[in-house]
Amino acid sequence: MNNDTLLEVRDLQTHFFTRTGVVKAVDGVSFDLNRGETLGIVGESGSGKSMTALSLMRLVPEPGGRTVGGSIMFDGEDLLLKGRDEMSDIRGRDICMILQDPMTSLNPVLSIGDQLIETFRPDGREAAKSLWDRGVELLRKVRIPAADIRMRAYPHQMSGGMRQRVVGAIAISRSPKLLIADEPTTSLDATIQLQYLRLLKDIQEQTGAAIIFITHDFGIVARMCDRVAVMYGGKIVEIADVSELFYNPKHPYTEALLGSVPDLEEDVDWLTSISGQPPQLDNMPPGCSFEPRCPYAFERCTEEYPREFTISDKHLASCWRLDDAGC
Amino acid sequence: MQAADSVATAEPLIAAEDIKKHFRVTSGFVFRKTVGQVRAVDGVSFSIPQGETYSLVGESGCGKTTTAKVVLLVEALTSGRLQFRGRDIQSFNADQLNEYRESVQAVFQDPWSSLNPRLKIESIIAEPLTAHRRLTKAELRSQILSLLEEVGLHPSHAYRYPHEFSGGQRQRIAIARALALRPKLIVLDEPVSALDVSIRAQIMNLLKQLQIDHNLSYLLIAHQLATVRYMSHRVGVMYLGKIVEEADSQELFRNPHHPYTRALISASLSSRPGVEREEIVLTGEVPSPIDPPPGCTFHPRCPSVFEPCADEVPQLQTVGPGHTVTCHLY
Repeated sequence: MNNDTLLEVRDLQTHFFTRTGVVKAVDGVSFDLNRGETLGIVGESGSGKSMTALSLMRLVPEPGGRTVGGSIMFDGEDLLLKGRDEMSDIRGRDICMILQDPMTSLNPVLSIGDQLIETFRPDGREAAKSLWDRGVELLRKVRIPAADIRMRAYPHQMSGGMRQRVVGAIAISRSPKLLIADEPTTSLDATIQLQYLRLLKDIQEQTGAAIIFITHDFGIVARMCDRVAVMYGGKIVEIADVSELFYNPKHPYTEALLGSVPDLEEDVDWLTSISGQPPQLDNMPPGCSFEPRCPYAFERCTEEYPREFTISDKHLASCWRLDDAGC
Repeated sequence: MQAADSVATAEPLIAAEDIKKHFRVTSGFVFRKTVGQVRAVDGVSFSIPQGETYSLVGESGCGKTTTAKVVLLVEALTSGRLQFRGRDIQSFNADQLNEYRESVQAVFQDPWSSLNPRLKIESIIAEPLTAHRRLTKAELRSQILSLLEEVGLHPSHAYRYPHEFSGGQRQRIAIARALALRPKLIVLDEPVSALDVSIRAQIMNLLKQLQIDHNLSYLLIAHQLATVRYMSHRVGVMYLGKIVEEADSQELFRNPHHPYTRALISASLSSRPGVEREEIVLTGEVPSPIDPPPGCTFHPRCPSVFEPCADEVPQLQTVGPGHTVTCHLY
């Protein structure tokens, strides 16, 4: 692990043990993340993207779910070997999750100031005045006007955009090294979404934190990320730099996904659509998980999951078609 | 292109003229009094020709959904006229209203809550048919099966329950139900935004194909502009209960005039990296429709605000063929 690498995930396995069998929600995920870098994880519901994020935070829902294999090297230490208390310290200090929906992630009966100060975990040794000042300072950092007055306000007294900023302030209160932004399925208005993305960029510039974006929106990826990992059926099927992935996709799923998104810039008569349905994790095909929907599938695809092929230094994809291409 | 020709010639299927829907805001428990009016829809006019898609776009709270509800007769009009094939709906008798309800159907955003979980697909699709038509069992069955086939489902699906289907398949079921009475107009309220990305294109293509096959009209409500561009012939941009700009789809996206339309386009993310858009920052949020700002309601957020905006209400201006805008700049 060189010095720039913040996070090194290797062969991460998170399974759910149900009455009907084992569901492999995350099935051998590996990737690296550098300091200050932004990685997008794209995938449909059930692809394992949110479960990957929860595994990194060691917040996989229990009982039922368990991370059963792999390693998560964060800043030189394996998070999977940490105890409960150690992990709870790391969450909130080094790794922070930031939710897009500010309406539900703030406590409605606590003032903004109380919620901010709570994140400093006051141990009684620091004077109330100094805690208060730190809160005001944070609100200024996320550009909330009249920060002094806002400290006493309650969430319902603030607009959606302001609340987003407060959530942002809480996320950066302890200068995390990694921010995980998991986008809920609820859709925000474009103008509000843009404000939120700007805020995140702002925060990243100020703190130098690395960001992992969990999303299904290629627009967000195109705008915000340095690299993208595409997940399908619990595995990363392709990972590359953003422009490489968009303009030179190698996995048929990535290619089809990109072709099925309408573009504001041009007129298209018919979109190419991906036939079939997303895979069910408790009933995966024996070979490649995309094989039943893949237009290029051949015999080998039905038998064996493709190994990872290296297209270029930072571009990896798992598809048997690349075997002939000599990768 | 196609749209421009037909707008001029075809008689509209449905036309709204200066429609308004206000909701009373009351306070007090025993002595209820009206303290204000929410002007959810405040003077909206549009018309939809047979076989075309008209889209309403705008931020949440701009009145798109209320407009759709008025068209579906879920909400009664406060004022204005709604015409169906040139006849005022207010003048309809019970039979005519029944016929109108048959001709206007809806598909909603969330296919998880719009299908009754206790009914088999068969009964879900049969419901509008048994309510409006007298059919024998055999006729009913054959209609259900042909509807399923039309939306790309298998006949055996008729005997399953909604929970056995994925989001895209459920939306297909909802579309089959909407098609059952062979409507003329379908109101599509965010039909794809709850679906997975790989499924959205399937559903949009299905809707486009059905439109061609049955010469259907759509009133589409969506907030994702790329979807709107792909689906529509004509687009109205709504802000605080009013349509601030209206044009044919291509024209609107190539040549937006109203500062709000421009801001919306600039805020919607390109699906490709490296595409640079003019950055227009809109500050704040949509003001409360109870107490809208004076003059042009957009002026507190408008980047090109100037003198008359705060005092005078802008008038509708024609800036090109079939392209109207309500803004003092023109």
